[in-house]
Amino acid sequence: MKSILQTFLLTELLGGLRLTFKNLFVRKVTLNYPEEKTPKSPRFRGLHAQRRYPNGEERCIACKLCEAVCPALAITIDSDVSEDGTRRTTRYDIDLFKCIYCGFCEEACPVDAIVETRIHEYHMENRGENIMTKEKLLAIGDRYEPMIAADKAADAPYR
Amino acid sequence: MSDDTVQLEVNGVPVTARKGQMIIEVTDAADAYVPRFCYHPKLSIAANCRMCLVEVENVPKPLPACATPVADGMKVQTRSGRALAAQRATMEFLLINHPLDCPICDQGGECELQDLAMGFGRDVSRYTERKRVVKDKDLGPLVSTDMTRCIHCTRCVRFGQEIAGIQELGTIGRGESTEIGTFVERSVGHELSGNIIDLCPVGALNNKPYRYRARSWEMTQHATVSGHDCAGSNLYAHAVRGRVMRAVPRPEERINETWLADRDRYSCHGLYGEDRLQEPMLRRDGEWHKVDWETALKAAAAGLKDAVGRSGPEGLGFLAHPSSTLEEFLLVEELASALGSANIDYRVHRVDFRDPDAEPTVPGIGVPIADVEGLDAILLVGSLIREEVPILAHRVRKAALAGCRVSFINPTVGEWLFPVQAEIAGGAGMVAELAAVLQSAARKRGVAVSERLADVVSGAHPGPGHDAIAASLGQESVVWLGLVAEADPARADLFAIAEELARLTGARFGQLTVGANSAGAALAGVQPHRGRGAVPRPRPGLDAGAMASEGLDGLLLLNLEPEDFPPETRPLLDDARCVVALTPFADDALLSCADVLLPTGTFLETSGTFVNCEGRWQSFSGAGRPPGEARPAWKVLRVLGNFLDQEGFDFDDTDEVRDALVSHLDGLSHGAQDRPDRILARESASPARAVGLYGVDGLVRRSEPLQAAAAASGDPEA
Amino acid sequence: MSDSFKDTTAQAAAGESPEPLTEAMLSAHAREVIDGWLTRFPDGQGRSAIIAALRVVQHENNGYLTPPLMDAVAAYLDLPKVQVYEVATFYSMFETHPVGRHHVSVCTNVSCMLRGGEAILAHLENKLGIEVGESTPDGRIFLKREEECLAACCGAPMMMVDHVYYEHLTPETVDRIIEELD
Repeated sequence: MKSILQTFLLTELLGGLRLTFKNLFVRKVTLNYPEEKTPKSPRFRGLHAQRRYPNGEERCIACKLCEAVCPALAITIDSDVSEDGTRRTTRYDIDLFKCIYCGFCEEACPVDAIVETRIHEYHMENRGENIMTKEKLLAIGDRYEPMIAADKAADAPYR
Repeated sequence: MSDDTVQLEVNGVPVTARKGQMIIEVTDAADAYVPRFCYHPKLSIAANCRMCLVEVENVPKPLPACATPVADGMKVQTRSGRALAAQRATMEFLLINHPLDCPICDQGGECELQDLAMGFGRDVSRYTERKRVVKDKDLGPLVSTDMTRCIHCTRCVRFGQEIAGIQELGTIGRGESTEIGTFVERSVGHELSGNIIDLCPVGALNNKPYRYRARSWEMTQHATVSGHDCAGSNLYAHAVRGRVMRAVPRPEERINETWLADRDRYSCHGLYGEDRLQEPMLRRDGEWHKVDWETALKAAAAGLKDAVGRSGPEGLGFLAHPSSTLEEFLLVEELASALGSANIDYRVHRVDFRDPDAEPTVPGIGVPIADVEGLDAILLVGSLIREEVPILAHRVRKAALAGCRVSFINPTVGEWLFPVQAEIAGGAGMVAELAAVLQSAARKRGVAVSERLADVVSGAHPGPGHDAIAASLGQESVVWLGLVAEADPARADLFAIAEELARLTGARFGQLTVGANSAGAALAGVQPHRGRGAVPRPRPGLDAGAMASEGLDGLLLLNLEPEDFPPETRPLLDDARCVVALTPFADDALLSCADVLLPTGTFLETSGTFVNCEGRWQSFSGAGRPPGEARPAWKVLRVLGNFLDQEGFDFDDTDEVRDALVSHLDGLSHGAQDRPDRILARESASPARAVGLYGVDGLVRRSEPLQAAAAASGDPEA
Repeated sequence: MSDSFKDTTAQAAAGESPEPLTEAMLSAHAREVIDGWLTRFPDGQGRSAIIAALRVVQHENNGYLTPPLMDAVAAYLDLPKVQVYEVATFYSMFETHPVGRHHVSVCTNVSCMLRGGEAILAHLENKLGIEVGESTPDGRIFLKREEECLAACCGAPMMMVDHVYYEHLTPETVDRIIEELD
């Protein structure tokens, strides 16, 4: 009896429409990307970068822990003794096609050399551009160092 | 229970031990691991790291397991609260001054301190004091030092004292200023010096050429056998992405125990030099061209066929380096027989080829390597054994320290680092000196030397040194001919006299054989007078010396470079019209005399088998990929056989090649051979050419660290 | 280390040690003493005689050892050189660098510290213008690097000058003792 009554009075339909009309007046959550952008966490894991110390010395010491921890085997490193006798990479490649952006490399790094930045808007046009070489990574690091440093500082209290 | 055993309990489990054993030996046997740094089974006991403290019932303090002999009824606890507390406290002390630089330390990932710190250390240090810093020492081109990491276990010090016999490292200073060093800076020069790297439980002593090149966890480990001397030391080659990064010893009690000679350890650093041959090359109109394999193999086959066409099969020669693998030897022999030539040899270093039939069918030292330690007397004739076979020299040293009487007859005085009974150097020459020993031995035993040696012996005048040597030889002794004797112009005389001496005295006779696989070459028939299975050939061919004097039309070289030839036979290479070289390297000397270059892999890059000087067959697989277009030599030879339209070259892997040889060995004869009636003593006119410790093959000659080490120790050959 | 001394250490470290390195460098007296000590140990235990040998050699060489001298001892005892270096660097009574004629060591261990030993040391350093471990430029006095308890606590603070104990020190007595040295 009760269900017949509900069917004839269209209560379910009205209930649904009520939600529809209510949302007509609620503030919209969609954005006009790329003109508008969502805020990102300092922990966002985007494009990789290699950092330097303030005196310009590259941080990476070629310990290969990131290579070892990488679950996608995206990192390839060759190392050797550098001119000043320190341990340095002679090759540091990240294959962005293999990378799953898990951030383990960043976690494993004992000297905060490899980081994943907020940058997520990038593309490739040619074969081979997916390989991020050491030069490219360092260039990104140099360019965005203030941003990277700020993100690191923001996250530091929680580590 | 016999008198020399005791019963004790380890962690509640009853075990039986020999009297005088240390607790740590018993716990190791009982699978109860006790952490340790200074204890090493091959070294004396120092008990200075204190890491192995264990609890023994009714003893008020924990005891060091490595220095406490077992006693009857002892109850040992290795994991009790007190034992663990003691171990943890020791670890904390050890870590006070140890730097936290594991990420850049080459030992990281294979470090005993790292492992034990994980197991027994605290996660946070309680020390805020400054860590001490120690200046690095210069130990030469082979061993890098980071002395700040040193925990003063003194394993390296004890190695020098007990194993090398030349103590160069010591514990300098005391207390916090204790350092391991040489006090007066000097490099460590010993042919086994690299072993202190493996002994060092931390990263203080490390492999210098390998420094910062790779991490332990990313390398794949390949069990292989060293191809530089006749001991056939077992080693692991560690490779990353097909490139060999370093070599470490593979424990084999019967051969190299836990040690590895520097030559075997550092030769891999010569693999990727500038003159590494990466593509087949062909000389056209005097110019070298890089070509593909098919062109090169066709040219090689055509060159060999043309030579046969011009001068018949007798105009064709085949020479192989004595460190080639058994499979390579076999395929070269197969190739030679297929083309109808018996001009095949591996003894390119030799200048005296007389009396070939007197030689044993399979050359070797006549005793198992492990039994050398137990010998009563050893006579080495024409041998710089420390250079020739360092691992065997270590066994001889152990024997000498245990009372074995070791004697030498050499052109020059050597530095042996062990007690020597008699050393006859220079004098009247090796032949005369050896003959004097033979005469003394014959006179003493009242027997006559065989007729054919009568002339040689009659003129000899034995002195006290000769008498002492002759008196020392007996049942448990050996007479060995070394590589100096092997390359001597009077080799055959030395051989005949030494063999007679062994026969008269009851000693065993042997040779330190050249290269890694002389025995394999003999078995595979890479000799002009004996074919496969060392069966005498009906029509002997030319030996390496005769090839040089007669001249050849076509020549195939396997792993050989002009530098491997003595000056007497080197013109052979320039005179031959067509020289096909299968080689890993091509230097200017080879480029100037070869016509076709086929790039091959070294022993680290091919599968194969070496037969060592005690007759042990050791098969191994390749560790690295040959660079570029280079291929394992056995594959090249096999395909070359196909290009020559020959049957019997359809092998799929080296095991098949080896098995093909094994079927030939049933007829291996060890019976007496015909001997010439009379030996005409020929005295060495010119001294034998010594190749030196680091000149034995192309790979060793290209290893920069080894050449630097040779230069540092003043080796004129370097 | 003062430059006024002929530093044979640097010479030896630079490469070839000056010849001859053998036992010929040892005086007849030194050899006699060493031989005397050798008779007290079993054959082949030359290592046990190192301390005695170094002591006599150091005494004859103005109170310090040089690498050639240590090498000579090693050669005489037929031991690896480094075993002699080990002993020479371990014991505080051996000096491996040129030092002054008079060895002065001030105790600063517990008893002496409580009775002002550190002040005595500071006074000496001040007076001589050198720090512990150094010698005066004229080669007269060597302030030994470290001396833990010399077993004269009842007379603290104390110091030892050329193996002679001076106890109950005050800055004034120290001055007098030092000035009496030649």
